Amino acid sequence: MSSWLFARRVVKLVGLVRAGAPVTREGAVGRRVRNEATIVLGQRKLLQRIGPGLMHAFIFWGFLVLGPTIVIAMIGAVSRHATLPWLGHQGWYQALVDVFCVLVLTGVLAALWIRKVLRPRRFAGSHLGEADLILALIATIVVSLLLWHATLIALGLNEWPASWSFVSNALSGLFGRGPVTRVLERVFVWLHVLTILGFLAYLPRSKHLHIFVAAVNVWFGRTGPGGRLEPLRFDDPSVPEEELRFGAGVASELTWKEVLDSFSCTECGRCQDACPAYATGKVLSPKLVIMGVRDAVLSEGDSKLVPDAVPEEMVWDCVTCGACVQACPVSIEHVDHIVDLRRNLVMVESSFPSEAEPMLRDVERASNPWGHPQADRAAWAASLGVRVLEPGEPPPEYLYWVGCASSFDERARQTAESVARLLRRAGVDFAILGPGESCTGDPARRMGNEYVFQAFAEANVATLNEAGVTKIVANCPHCFNTLANEYPDFGGRYEVVHHTELLSRLVREGRLSPSRAGHGAEAGAAAGPGSRSGSRSITYHDSCYLARHNDVLAAPRELVAAVGEPVEMKRSGKETFCCGAGGAHMWMEERGRPINAERVREAAATGADTLAVACPFCTVMLDDGVQSSGDALRVVDLATLLAEAVEEADAEAGG
Amino acid sequence: MAILVFVEDAGDELSQQAIAFGRSLAGDSDPLDAVRITNDGAGYAPAAWAHALAEVISERRPAAVVAPGSERGNEVLAHVAARLDLPMAAHCTSVALGDPAEVVRLRWGGSLLEEARIHGSPVLLTVAPHAIAADGVLDPAEIESVAASEEPADLLVRVSERVPSAVAGVSLADAEVVVSGGRGVGSAEGFVALEELASLLGGAVGCSRAVTSAGWRPHSDQVGQTGTKVSPELYIACGISGATQHLAGVKGAKKLLAINPDGEASIFASADYAVIGDLHEVVPAISAEIRKARGS
Repeated sequence: MSSWLFARRVVKLVGLVRAGAPVTREGAVGRRVRNEATIVLGQRKLLQRIGPGLMHAFIFWGFLVLGPTIVIAMIGAVSRHATLPWLGHQGWYQALVDVFCVLVLTGVLAALWIRKVLRPRRFAGSHLGEADLILALIATIVVSLLLWHATLIALGLNEWPASWSFVSNALSGLFGRGPVTRVLERVFVWLHVLTILGFLAYLPRSKHLHIFVAAVNVWFGRTGPGGRLEPLRFDDPSVPEEELRFGAGVASELTWKEVLDSFSCTECGRCQDACPAYATGKVLSPKLVIMGVRDAVLSEGDSKLVPDAVPEEMVWDCVTCGACVQACPVSIEHVDHIVDLRRNLVMVESSFPSEAEPMLRDVERASNPWGHPQADRAAWAASLGVRVLEPGEPPPEYLYWVGCASSFDERARQTAESVARLLRRAGVDFAILGPGESCTGDPARRMGNEYVFQAFAEANVATLNEAGVTKIVANCPHCFNTLANEYPDFGGRYEVVHHTELLSRLVREGRLSPSRAGHGAEAGAAAGPGSRSGSRSITYHDSCYLARHNDVLAAPRELVAAVGEPVEMKRSGKETFCCGAGGAHMWMEERGRPINAERVREAAATGADTLAVACPFCTVMLDDGVQSSGDALRVVDLATLLAEAVEEADAEAGG
Repeated sequence: MAILVFVEDAGDELSQQAIAFGRSLAGDSDPLDAVRITNDGAGYAPAAWAHALAEVISERRPAAVVAPGSERGNEVLAHVAARLDLPMAAHCTSVALGDPAEVVRLRWGGSLLEEARIHGSPVLLTVAPHAIAADGVLDPAEIESVAASEEPADLLVRVSERVPSAVAGVSLADAEVVVSGGRGVGSAEGFVALEELASLLGGAVGCSRAVTSAGWRPHSDQVGQTGTKVSPELYIACGISGATQHLAGVKGAKKLLAINPDGEASIFASADYAVIGDLHEVVPAISAEIRKARGS
């Protein structure tokens, strides 16, 4: 009956997943196998937090090892004299069983300690009662197993050499040989088997379902860069009109991966802990979003996802930084859910924060989100002798994609000037598109206006392809991400690098030689008249779209090391903490405490005098933060630091 | 050919321009009828007004119907077009009547001029604001009043109530002069000098994001990308650095005066007039000069 209950529920859940909208998660089998090995078997993401990670790993590995004991117990429940052929007789196996029973119990106790005594904030909103019940069931299973083995040994009925299973052996001393023990032996084995069967029936109705679904969800996780969003197919003639998707308004419009995500959630709350919005007092909790989606899917109604399952505020609080996806041990992709919800809100319901409307309008009308005249796009380059590519001219080796921010924002413009000067200095053959360059469409896409984004993607791809561009260098991680990962979906395939990658390569190749004056020990020796005296301690802020979504970690650090003394923040690399501008938040008002202030606090605490960035959004957000806090931190792009260091080297050589 | 002009009011500037436009179409000899719609006490209801106007049009059969390119003009004429199943061209700068008529109209928020042909009789069009100068004030006696329809179906959408805004004084979005303060003002109290100058100039006080984040002024005073967009004759930026996000709200200003102690501040790149100095000295000094000039 237990199997029937289990199967019935599983069939229903599988049906719900298969009813989801299509999304492509094929190919890259090697990578998927590797993910299964490291994330599932190796518990890699869980071990990102070593304490709870080990706790879970013990229980998980324990259950893998104890798997066959379920069969042995069922056989033994029927006849105390029978067991699994071969394995049931192996002493080494029973030794393993004993060891892992103890480890599982240790894990359970640790889990109870965490939940009951430490009570971390990440459990706020999770179903704690369910967790307690599951822990109790697990404890019962392993304890009853040990006691069953103990009584078997006491009765002399063990099919394996008793001395191997040292724990059960020790426990067997508690029991005599008499009729009481015979009864107890039956009690323990049946307790064990019935608990397992009960658990089996309960399992798919609880969050413990993750033990089956998680492995599947990890298989279907992203194998490419995290920053690529699935496009919506509006013009595909092979897609019938009823199946046209404009994001997810009701549960039946979710993709199958999103449904699978919602079944995988264990309510652990690591995503909630990582979320910069949640950390600054906003309503958004990625965990609650997924739990809300799960409830909506299971209820099989057609109530609106927003606001019934997920409050509208949560949808707009998101900065698409991906910290939640990074933290999730079961490969749930929360950003996809939130963007799909946004798509429906923007394109179907036209319901979104009104302050973002001018941005969308300006992107459409003026091809940049600030509404500046496109004719001025190359104004920053006028005095620098930068080549502007005209139609019909041969393409340069590198097309320098400047981006709207660096073209029009006075703080970000400094980066473009530095990049241009450095590339000229190094003799790189490059050109810009000037007024031919429009917004990549990233802010529109992250806001959910997929339609506007695609219009721009297609137009930009046409411009780039007609010009014969093959290599692109971008100084904005958002442009970089879109050009490299999202434009291939629209026929644009280019070799795209971020400016820190190109610049660090030029330094390595000796085509750019920065002064060493920023370094401590050599500062005295290398410092000449007019150079910055003393060492410069630099803390580098990883941009979400570089580090987390695209794994660009080393190149910027090479540049930092070339111009000063690096000091890392605690939340760095793939664990970086957002500046707060992503997800189109550069154009929205913020509730609660500002995310950028939080990050500036962290940067100032390192004691560095320079906060290096590699993104125009980060430049503006963190500079604003520093101006508010009054910290003595200079916020500056790596390109500018490098340009200054190269000029210093010139001064030292010349003077 | 007979031209019918829908006006809102004799004193309304855009209505006067519509009349001038109508006159230029009609020529000296042809009749020009100016019509306004009245409603006894009931609020404005576009369908009701359009119903009445459409009846006038059906009776008189003018060659063209001209309305001001105001919100109400566009809305009423659009309803008329729907009722009569005719096309309507909004925000026209010129028209040549004929079959088909040819218009030049504003598109894309005013950034494009489009030449188009309009097939239909009469030609329904609204005039782009300030496309033509008003040629004299209208004589109210020359405007016919026609009562709006009272059919319930036409009154489904109507103005039911007017609630005056709580903002005393000049509203930021409409102000002809805006005196705006940034981080440089230093405190909420620091804005007193700016309020004084604003009131002397009959303007409104604005601020930058740094100020609202610091809690010195409410968000309703914020000028910028995520705040109010202003289009005054004169924008005085005091202690504002000039970040793009702020300037995005100031694009409509005709002239910008920047007061900032930092000569390198980016606001100066967008300023027509610049004072490199401390606003706490300069602003009161300006106010004092104004008072002296007015002899008070």
